[in-house]
This record gives sequence, C-alpha cells and structure tokens, in this order.
Amino acid sequence: MAARSGPRNTRLLVVGLVVLSLTIITVDYREGDSGPLAAMGRSARTFMAPLQEAVTNATRPVGNFFSGVAHLPSLAQENTDLKAQVADLQARIDATSQIELQNQELLDLLNLKRIYPTGIPAVVIAKSPSNFSSSMTIDVGSDAGIKENQPVVTGSQDGARLVGIVASVTTNSADVRLLIDQSFNVAGKLASSGAIGLVQGNGDQDLTMQDIPATTKFPPSGTPESVFTVSYHVGDQHGRFPPNILIGTVSKVYEGVQPDAQVSISPAVDFSSLETVLVLPTVDGSGS
Amino acid sequence: MRRVIAIIAIIVTAVLLQSTVFSQLQLLGVRPELLYLVTILIALNEGPSEGAIVGFTCGLAQDMFLDQPMGITALTLTLLGYAVGMARQYIVSPSPLVPTIVVAVATALGVGFYEIVTYLLGQFDAGFTYAVKVALLTAAYNAVLTPILSPLLRRIVEGSRPRRVVRL
Repeated sequence: MAARSGPRNTRLLVVGLVVLSLTIITVDYREGDSGPLAAMGRSARTFMAPLQEAVTNATRPVGNFFSGVAHLPSLAQENTDLKAQVADLQARIDATSQIELQNQELLDLLNLKRIYPTGIPAVVIAKSPSNFSSSMTIDVGSDAGIKENQPVVTGSQDGARLVGIVASVTTNSADVRLLIDQSFNVAGKLASSGAIGLVQGNGDQDLTMQDIPATTKFPPSGTPESVFTVSYHVGDQHGRFPPNILIGTVSKVYEGVQPDAQVSISPAVDFSSLETVLVLPTVDGSGS
Repeated sequence: MRRVIAIIAIIVTAVLLQSTVFSQLQLLGVRPELLYLVTILIALNEGPSEGAIVGFTCGLAQDMFLDQPMGITALTLTLLGYAVGMARQYIVSPSPLVPTIVVAVATALGVGFYEIVTYLLGQFDAGFTYAVKVALLTAAYNAVLTPILSPLLRRIVEGSRPRRVVRL
C-alpha cells in the first residue's frame, strides 16, 4: 500500500481514484447489465454466494434474535393482540423450535409447489447491504433455470404471497427485488370491489396503491380487504405476475384524494424472517 | 504483500458480514455501514493515502452487491478516506472517545454525500426526512460498533506492517 507518500503524491492519488470512480459510474451507467463491470459484479457475487450461504446458516439464530429485538415496538403490539388468543392456543402448543418452524416453512413451500409445479424452490442466503434498496439473494441461479423478471412468492397451499421479482442472475445465485423496494410496481386488485390500481413499494412504510377509480366502494372500517395481483395481456405483451397472488391487506383508505382513490397496504409477507421462497416461471412462459 | 492480503481479507470479511449478519441487524429500519466504518478507522490510523485506497476498494466491493450503477460508493469512500486521513493531523486530543466521534461525524457526512450523488443520478427516490434519518442512525450505529471493531482492526493492520530491520 502506498502509505508514506508526500502530500502532492497523495493528492494525485486521490484525484486518480476519483477520476477512476467517475469513469466506472459512467461506463456502468451506459453499458447497463451487458457491460464488463456488470459481468465483474456477477462474478464477484458468484464467488461470494457460497460464503454468504455458509455465514447466513451459521449466524441465523443470532441474527433472528437481534432481528426480534430490533422489531420490539411492532412485536409489543402484536403480543397484545395475540394474548387474547393464547388461552385457546395453549392446548395445541406442545413445543416450538427452530427446526419445527423451518419444517413447517418447507412443507408450505412443498404445498405451494403443487399449485405451481414448474416453480423452483430457493433459500434466502443474503439481504441487501444497502439502506436504500430492498432486495435479497437466493441460492439458485441460471444453472437452475432462473431468469430475470421471474416472480418470486412464498406462502402455502392456501395461497401464494408475493415476495418480489428476480432482478439479476448469476450462475449460482439471483438477486430478488422485494415488493417493498421503492422502485417496485405491480398491478393490484381489491378483493371486494375488483377495482384495479398500481401498487408501489415504500421502503419500511406500508405499500401504496394508487390510481383506484374514485367511485370504488370500500368495505366498512375494520373489515379486512385483501389485495391480489392481476394479470393482463395486450397483444404480445403480458403482465409480469400471475393473477391472484396475495400482495397484502388494506391498512388505510384515502378516499378524499382526487382524482383517484388511494390506499395503504400492509404486505402479506414478513420480509425480516423470510427464509425460503418459490421462483415462478414468467407469465409468457419463458423462464423455467 | 502481507499487508495487502490483510487489508483484502478485512474488506472481504466486511462485505460478507454486511450482506449477511448486519443486514438483519436493523435498528428503526437502518443497518450499520461496515465498509464506511472500516474506511474511516483505517484512514484515521494510517493517513490519507491508505484511507483513499482502502476507501476506493471497500466502495467498489460494496458496489458489486448493489442494484445501481457501480462506482458511487467507491467515489464516496475514496473521498471519505482521504478527508478523514487529512483530518487526523488536526486531532490532538488523546481521549479514547475521539475515534467514536470521528466515526459518527464521518459516517453521517459520507452517507449524506452518497445520498446526494445517488439523487443527482436519479437513483434516490426517498424523501429528505428519510435521508436525514438514515444518515444520523447509521452514524449512531457505526459509533456504537467503533469501540468493538477499532482495537481489532488496529491490531490486524499494525500486525501486518513490514518490520524494519536495523543493521549495525
């Protein structure tokens, strides 16, 4: 390392590195996913995927503990609601352990695969290192037939729940842009009225559904209202998601917003504890 | 050579931990920025040249795992490493709190700079309040981690320094 250099050399070094950074930004911005830098990034992610998987497996119990501590405020509210049900559930609870929970999640995934037989099961091995994007890395890539823009779901035989969409793929891993990412958009349908709108990710906040016709009738406050994906095709163009995948439930209605109504949606998936998912083929049949 | 390997090992470990363990340790929706912390601590110990080089490498390593144009974090951490390395000559207090305070201030400024660059490139959609919240919470988070990681990093970096041989 060039540690003990004079001030002039140091300034030249910094100017050089800044120019190099700006060049990288420009080249990567122009070339996009097909450029040499993107290929370098994919190689690095391919190299790191097995390490990430090993570290995640080794530290998951500790991570879950701290994740639980970080979510204490919301857990406190949830705890209050659940206390009312404890008496009924007490008899049915013999023992809960990490293995049983994992087993249940895998069974749910197996059941879900019966609905989507061509879906590819995957394990979450890492999450976005940035505070400004919501994504996660799964342990299957192009070797397993994963392609960009494939929908990713979780859930059980009762129904699939939307997780996100495959954003980029390496040979042994894939990055999934989550439903809550601020750049995520999906067409959604209100269960009771069938009204359609555009659902957008909102980071840590609830999702937003806009462009709902102003004449839409909403159920009375307190009645749960689910929002599902809606599929369409115009000519050769298809929507990116299969229909009737649960996105979430309406948490707030803004009826006075003109010219269209708007709602907030609480996502159906708890992204902080998500461990297994199913990657579906694309709606037009490409992908696995 | 030993030194380069030690620093590369630190960076790879930091990227690995940032994308696995620390990505789960969110406080009020914000994660710590381990690569910022590594850059600042090395710049504080080793000076502006190494601060800039390590910052650039850390930034490029993190950029490879982000869903946005590569190079933005590299630019941010290069300047951050250089600035912290230059600032250390003005720090005369022997207080053990100094690294913690420097890490907090530098992290907030670094994250702020990153937010401005991503905003100018059309990659930042969140509002001003969220940007300030992330900068301040990340700074606090990194400051809390400093007393744990600072001695460890210093030991590794100083242990990898070439030994001077004096011939009489």
